[in-house]
Amino acid sequence: MTQTDRSPRAPVSRATIIGTIVRKDFKAFVRDRFYLYMSIIGLVAYIAIFWVLPNSVDESITIGATGAGIESLLEQATGSDAEGLTLVAFDSRETLMTAVEEGDEGVALGLAFPDDFFSAIAAGRSTTVSVIATSEVPAELRTAMDSFIKEAAFAISGSPLPVDYQEEILGVDRLGDQVSLREKFRPMLAFLVLLIEMMSLAGLIASEMQNRTVTAVITTPATLADFLTAKIIFGALLAFSQVVLLLIAIQSLGTAPVLILTTVLLGSLMVTGFALIAGAFGKDFISVLFWSMLFMIPMMIPAFSLLFPGSASVWIRAIPSYGLVEAITGTTSYGQGWAEALPNLGMVLAWTVVAFIVGLGILRRKVQSL
Amino acid sequence: MTTNGNAIEVRDLSFAYGDIQAVDGVSFSVAPGEILGFLGPNGAGKSTTIKMLTGQLLPDAGSISVLGMTMPEQTLDIQARIGVCFEEKNLYENMSARENLDFFARLYGIKGMDFDPYLRRVGLVDRADDRVGTYSKGMRQRLMMTRAMINGPDILFLDEPTDGLDPVSSQSVRAVIKAEADRGASVILTTHDMHEADQLSDRVAFINEGKIEALDTAENLKLEHGQRSVRIRSRDGGGVEERVIGLDEANAGDQIRDAVAVEGLMTIHTEEATLEDIFIKLTGRELSA
Repeated sequence: MTQTDRSPRAPVSRATIIGTIVRKDFKAFVRDRFYLYMSIIGLVAYIAIFWVLPNSVDESITIGATGAGIESLLEQATGSDAEGLTLVAFDSRETLMTAVEEGDEGVALGLAFPDDFFSAIAAGRSTTVSVIATSEVPAELRTAMDSFIKEAAFAISGSPLPVDYQEEILGVDRLGDQVSLREKFRPMLAFLVLLIEMMSLAGLIASEMQNRTVTAVITTPATLADFLTAKIIFGALLAFSQVVLLLIAIQSLGTAPVLILTTVLLGSLMVTGFALIAGAFGKDFISVLFWSMLFMIPMMIPAFSLLFPGSASVWIRAIPSYGLVEAITGTTSYGQGWAEALPNLGMVLAWTVVAFIVGLGILRRKVQSL
Repeated sequence: MTTNGNAIEVRDLSFAYGDIQAVDGVSFSVAPGEILGFLGPNGAGKSTTIKMLTGQLLPDAGSISVLGMTMPEQTLDIQARIGVCFEEKNLYENMSARENLDFFARLYGIKGMDFDPYLRRVGLVDRADDRVGTYSKGMRQRLMMTRAMINGPDILFLDEPTDGLDPVSSQSVRAVIKAEADRGASVILTTHDMHEADQLSDRVAFINEGKIEALDTAENLKLEHGQRSVRIRSRDGGGVEERVIGLDEANAGDQIRDAVAVEGLMTIHTEEATLEDIFIKLTGRELSA
């Protein structure tokens, strides 16, 4: 028995090995029709949804009114500081009711003043004003009208209420700076793409564990570190490239492109970190779906909270995706710069580090136990 | 090679999974071109030993020298010169045989390799561009063997390479193993198939509860621990008489002469212990346990 004399081959560089694994991962991703179609269909659907959504926002409310001499009341009201309130006069109660019912001239609510309104107020007699509203009008708006009428009556009688008020808005005051529904969806759509790619990567990692192909790779000159680095690069590139495609398609890279791309890159890395955890726990498609959803659903909350006015609750700020959503919203919708975005980016970076430490730790143990 | 000319030199190797001592002070060596059969039941410590030799696990204690290099210091250099065929069919199923081989070849720094001669040798050249997911178990196993050889390894680690295969695929895999050993590659063959170990191995190691119970050629193990005998069957009136005469008995020759001299002689068989018999004798356990 003689050993074949062979000179050792030149060592392969880490970069070559990592590049080879990344190329293989890309091939595997393209060949997996479920994740490929999900990515493509998702991307096309999100772009379509964005352009279908309304791009305008109306912060004012139009109220119709009728009654003898009501024009002077309207002049007083529109001349006051009742910001966002438009009053339109109607000839008769019937035309007002029709306008409210059909939404003519954008009339959301009608006020029918009696013909003796001014004289009754001046004489100190009680009188009745009708508030005409459809069933869709929120109760709080009807209540607000009640206050408006009473305040107007005091003013007309020459005894205005001896109270003034001053607004103190906690958090960012978006009055006069509201964004359209389309704008509100922009960060959410970008974030949805990131989450779908998180699931794709988790599926890819779980399949390497389950089929034990990772064992075959790490018994070659490729190390576990090479394998994991390749997965991180592939996952981040996959998520980043898809979000960039989306942002281009929905025209979101016009202002501060470097800041937006940095935000998206950090976001891609963060979801990659969570994909490592989901992939390490996933045993098959269903369990990958389960673990991915476990991360995806809570991380959707900050994006959904943008759809509703008001500041996010304190606990929402503890969700890893909060900083990312805030940074994307601030940059793309409100033109914020680096200074405003940095605290949010710092938060994303911190969560990214946590996700990587946990994900890599679990994966390393998992591979060693195979 | 190691200083004493062996391809593999293992001394006092130990590894524990928590409180379970999987490998307990194992020592052995493998010569260049030698096939060493690792025989033992499930959980005996075979796979853990192979994992340490292939760099998947770090030993708790002991030393490993492979091709004159030591682990873990030179693990990557060692891994560049070994080939591993796993018991699990860990291939990329969405890729073809050729793509699988190309991926692994590139990890060794080999580009533009012609895989056809390798695939022809295991009868897969006609299906080389089909996705592995469409392959039968035997085809996958033959592809696994091919993958283990693409870097022209000096040492092959084969874990149950014919487990569950049909006779034709088993024969094909065994022929490849023999050819690799003839080329000069050392082979560590992990199996609980005593016939395969007997057929292929130059030496056999019995592993039980993390320890090597015996290590020698199959012939020597049988001579040392087995019992040789002759079984003679003859007609006796209306029935059949059967006599078993141990060859190591003092008057074995006379007994055999008397037994065959009777009328109605039917059959005479020489019998020797199988590796399984010896394993049971030495460890008290069955290989298939």
